[in-house]
Amino acid sequence: MPGHRTKRFCASAAALALCALLAGCGGTGESAGGKVVLRYTWWGNPDRAERTEQAVALFEKQHPDVDVTTSFSGYDAYKQKLATQAAGGDAPDVMQLDYRQIDQYASGGVLLDLAKQKAVLRTSEIDQGLLATGRVDDVQYAIPQGRGTETVAYDVRTWKKSGVPLPGGSWTWSRWADTMRALAKKTGKPGATDPGQSEDAFEVWLRGQGKALYTEDGGLGFTTDDLTRWWTFTDQLRREGAVSPAEQTTQLDGSVENTPLGRGESVTDANWDAPASGFLALVPTGVALAPMPSGEDGTPGQYFKPSMFLGVSANTGHPKEAAQLVDFMINDREAAKILGASRGIPVNETIRDEIGPRLKDFDKTIAVYQASLEGKLKDPPQAPPSGDNALQSTFQRDYDQVSYARMSPREAAENYVTEAKAELRS
Amino acid sequence: MTTTAIPAEAKRAPAAAPKRRPKREREGAAWVFLSPWVLGAIVLTLLPMAVSLYLSFTDYDLFNPPKWVGLRNYVQMFTEDPRYWRSVVTTLTYVVVAVPLQLALALVVAMALKGMKRGKGFYRSAFYAPSLLGASMSIALVWRAIFNDGGTVDHLLGTGGWVNKPGWALLAVALLTVWQFGAPMVIFLAGLQQIPAELYEAAAVDGAGKWRQFVAVTVPMLSPVLFFNLVLQTIQAFQVFTPAFAVSAGKGGPADSTLVYTMYLYDRGFVASHMGYASAMAWVLLLVIGVVTAVLFRTSRSWVFYASEGDR
Repeated sequence: MPGHRTKRFCASAAALALCALLAGCGGTGESAGGKVVLRYTWWGNPDRAERTEQAVALFEKQHPDVDVTTSFSGYDAYKQKLATQAAGGDAPDVMQLDYRQIDQYASGGVLLDLAKQKAVLRTSEIDQGLLATGRVDDVQYAIPQGRGTETVAYDVRTWKKSGVPLPGGSWTWSRWADTMRALAKKTGKPGATDPGQSEDAFEVWLRGQGKALYTEDGGLGFTTDDLTRWWTFTDQLRREGAVSPAEQTTQLDGSVENTPLGRGESVTDANWDAPASGFLALVPTGVALAPMPSGEDGTPGQYFKPSMFLGVSANTGHPKEAAQLVDFMINDREAAKILGASRGIPVNETIRDEIGPRLKDFDKTIAVYQASLEGKLKDPPQAPPSGDNALQSTFQRDYDQVSYARMSPREAAENYVTEAKAELRS
Repeated sequence: MTTTAIPAEAKRAPAAAPKRRPKREREGAAWVFLSPWVLGAIVLTLLPMAVSLYLSFTDYDLFNPPKWVGLRNYVQMFTEDPRYWRSVVTTLTYVVVAVPLQLALALVVAMALKGMKRGKGFYRSAFYAPSLLGASMSIALVWRAIFNDGGTVDHLLGTGGWVNKPGWALLAVALLTVWQFGAPMVIFLAGLQQIPAELYEAAAVDGAGKWRQFVAVTVPMLSPVLFFNLVLQTIQAFQVFTPAFAVSAGKGGPADSTLVYTMYLYDRGFVASHMGYASAMAWVLLLVIGVVTAVLFRTSRSWVFYASEGDR
């Protein structure tokens, strides 16, 4: 009977629609054609992307039963997307993490205890001190991937042409400032990106005076006065045209493409050394590295930091395969050759010794730069407290108010300290 | 009479044979057909709304279980957060600038198109196209490129990039909305074509010029359509997000000048991980839009003219 058939059809259509609706709620790690599918995400620039794709292709060749889907974006966008995915219980199987994220992600139950995957994930060749940075409450939630430090990347040819003496072994903040003024005068463009927007640069400046961003119990390690002095210093340089104007500084989003140096509108940029390789493609005249300025008495502010980590989702359907991928990215020699120093100098000591002399081009520049700092820097601070994750953007935003002359350095500093205290309490 | 009645009855009988099913059964079928949408409404709309209302009374950082804090989010919003009020002022400024500009432009273009004899179809599609591209991120990104320093507008006017100047960035965002006037334009066009030509003829006979005709005939006759567009566009403007997000690269900058309400909501929720606070903001926005719409309906009594009222 036709009526009957219609009814049954309706019921199955409704059932189908329901299935479609609920399909989105399924777990991760579905297999396609019998293969294990791993999702692997990271942040970075096109240079890092190219090398990662090559390494992943090699991994897939070695593990024919595993299919790795990758995705990447700039740091700011990555940070937000990952937080949303993690909150929804849908974190990628393997994810790149920043020092600032470890604490929050580990305590939120997003990450897998990697010690349980010892069989496939070797950590014996990693410096124990560095390895410990991926631990929270004695659980190994993440493995550091590389070692990085901050640097002043500069456009070699433009600097040389200006006649200003090239940066030597070390410089203080006041000598740095004078050099930027001289560069601006000779080249007609700002010497540097305005460092006032960068919490990282502020930290280097603070440490040069023997202070720190955070106290050991996770409170604020500096006062409104400290921040006011820093912002007064950078504000003055901006007014003189020695560092980038507000219109350019506000466009910074964590990618080298949007820095004044990357856009050809300044001579130098303070950055982490690993992403600095991205400048090569943007500054055809060549890029070299100089150390960050130190305190007036020569106290170094920069430090060796685990550049980034790899973690595995606590919800992954394939912990073994995910751990294999982590192992491959960190311990495989062939992978290391491909990856070079795109994520910092390798943490695996055997690989570091073996690959080090063979590093080419900019990877070599980074290795030589790090070697020149060896033994000169102070110990890294402990991992930043959870609230810090949001404060990075707060810092940049509050400085916007200074660089657009809408607030005095003191007003902005007061704003920041108030918000930081609230953020660290919650 | 009776002889004729019987065949009539017989004739009707076959037609009634596949007789209508009882009402309840028909309703059942309706529910089956509707179920995907009813289910969708419950799972994808009502449930999330309920959860968001609950979260607005909690402290929730996305990673740890929500902590009940009562009205603290609301209190903090109204009494301790200067950025919240900045975002409110920015949004109101945006609504007050963008909506009237957009409606005025839509009306002007609709009137120009109405009288057009040739190429009507082409111009209609051309003006409507930006609205079809509408809320897409790509258009907003193109907009950013146009108003960035070194962009087209910068080349033509030497502005040094509107989107990087706190005083101009919001205008660049508003212009993007104004430019997408296609939807209200089409509605205006339909409204204009409903106005009887005799009214204009009569007005012309009475000696009314073009302007007088516009004020005395077009505006009152068009007022229901105008009202409809006003309500719709105002509600949309309060929720502006994409253009502000793209133009400021997700930060509401420069110096918080494009920090519209939804943008700050996004910032609290996804950048600072204060989902409870963000949820509270969302509910306040819902209430405000409700109130504004109600006020618009109230005032409409004094200026919206429905043709049917004239008969009374």
